[in-house]
Amino acid sequence: MNRRKFLTLSGAAVAGTYASMKLQKPPQIPDGPPGDSVVAILRARSYSDDLVSRMLEGIRQCGLDVRGKRVLLKPNLVEFDSATVINTDATVIAAALEVFQHLGAAEVKIGEGPGHRRDTLDLADDARYRATIPKFENIFTDLNRDDVSPVFDFANESRFYFPNTVLGADLIVSLAKMKTHHWAGATLSMKNFFGIVPGSLYGWPKNKLHYIGIQESVVALNRKFRNTFAIVDGIIGMEGNGPIQGTPKPTGVLVMGRDLVAVDSTCCRIMGIDPEKVDYLRMAAGLGHVHGSRIQQRGESVASVRTNFALIDEFQGLRLA
Amino acid sequence: MAGLYLESRLEFLRATQNADGGWGYFPGKHSWMEPTTYAMLALHGTPGSDALLDRAWRLVRSWQLPDGSVRPGAGIEGGTWVTAHAVTLACLRGVHDSNVSRSVDWMLHVVGAEHNPAMRAASYFHMLKTKLDVSHQGWPWRNGNASWIEPTAHTLVALKKVSKNYRSAELEHRVREGEDLLFSRRCSDGGWNCGNPNVLNFDLPSYPETTGVALIGLEGRSVRELAQPLEVARRFRTETKSSLAKAWLSIGLRCHGENPEPPSDTARVSSDIMLAALETLAHPEGNYRLLKTEGLA
Repeated sequence: MNRRKFLTLSGAAVAGTYASMKLQKPPQIPDGPPGDSVVAILRARSYSDDLVSRMLEGIRQCGLDVRGKRVLLKPNLVEFDSATVINTDATVIAAALEVFQHLGAAEVKIGEGPGHRRDTLDLADDARYRATIPKFENIFTDLNRDDVSPVFDFANESRFYFPNTVLGADLIVSLAKMKTHHWAGATLSMKNFFGIVPGSLYGWPKNKLHYIGIQESVVALNRKFRNTFAIVDGIIGMEGNGPIQGTPKPTGVLVMGRDLVAVDSTCCRIMGIDPEKVDYLRMAAGLGHVHGSRIQQRGESVASVRTNFALIDEFQGLRLA
Repeated sequence: MAGLYLESRLEFLRATQNADGGWGYFPGKHSWMEPTTYAMLALHGTPGSDALLDRAWRLVRSWQLPDGSVRPGAGIEGGTWVTAHAVTLACLRGVHDSNVSRSVDWMLHVVGAEHNPAMRAASYFHMLKTKLDVSHQGWPWRNGNASWIEPTAHTLVALKKVSKNYRSAELEHRVREGEDLLFSRRCSDGGWNCGNPNVLNFDLPSYPETTGVALIGLEGRSVRELAQPLEVARRFRTETKSSLAKAWLSIGLRCHGENPEPPSDTARVSSDIMLAALETLAHPEGNYRLLKTEGLA
């Protein structure tokens, strides 16, 4: 057998195995932890709405107490393109800052480590973070270049390093953007934690996470960091070829909750994506609730705000019936 | 060296050296190899810096591991791409001992994981979501991961510099392969991003900062081969407002014989130590020349 024939047969075997795996009916998703999860959907038609009031209402509905806590706001700052909406809007971050300060947090910081770009502050400038968020530079940490400490219980790695700003927070608030994603199907509050992995050690992009597995890394990060809260900026989301090259999708919602699995599952339903078909949510079902029957929806109903996001061909199978 | 622009930055670098001899990304933070390298390059040969540089070099040496690789920072386990920086610094200091030799061997041993047989087979059968030519050998951020533009470019600088003393067929081969990888990973617009020019048949745009770094890695190649990237770099340098990108682009352009306009003498010194060092290197009177290699010796 020559080399070309060997490669052809090997490839056919791999492709066949892959196809048969895909055709199998996925196993039932486990029920998740005891009890139900609360997810609040608040309508906000534009970034000039009173976002502070909306967030206060959502946090009240979710029963979150932040008094005396050191809070880290983790926006989704990836790249900038004035033609689309890649990043968490600056007004959402400014509102969250005001809200958590108002609710008695001992400290509120903002931290992010973009996965592709080295000049984080320049990106923040482009995204109008510096112009919109009071004293931004005093409270912002570039998580790509923060000092780090090891943890010993992350994704089967003997040790893995995280920024001290992250490890020192009592509560991490994932200020995510509602977007489709060309690898994961959707990127919401859980995948937003990729930005806490330091580029100084794992590179730009954080290729180590790709080798652990994108879905596996999303779950591992959320298993490691459990004191979390999510506020997803779905006022204008991104559909199509997200998370960078998609097109703006006005959706008019903020989605909030303490159970990030439930928040992401709710966001998927709003986007017209079946969360039970999203791999990372299936894998994370032990951490939170995917099943709609276990999620107490507050504020708006999913049906009243649902708007199908365009999906690339690769993910047409994720469409919610 | 003279001028307020350079002096203010050099003074800032001298003032922010940590007690262990290194530099953090920001004043008062732990020492890391990356900002330490650029601070050392920026201060090299400047009056009154010898003692600082000796201390920094001792720290860099202490970060070398038995396998020849170098830790990225204090207290971090395992060596990474910054091994290339340590070799570049060794060349600068005229150190060519067995420790450097072990680092060179480590760099020659490390290959981006996309070059492994499984990935090449997947590429052959168009099973990858990215359009990558995986036939070339570059360097990853961490051993065991895929090759990317920045670690490949920095390793090329180190290997070309060290080739005067450690020339081998393997080294020459890896330099050619690394350069070919950089050429193969160009974006459709002519510049470079992290190293992924196309995903799912969608072209991705290049970035100013990575375009600058890639040009440094390709120093020694002919201007004719690089006509389009140099044009992109010139445009990026005019358009970008990122100080980091401007610095990398200026160094990249100067490495190819261009002479971009110097910044204003009154431009404020950033509290970002790596940026201050790179701005110093990028100045017409700065040490950008230390990154020049003229290709293989």
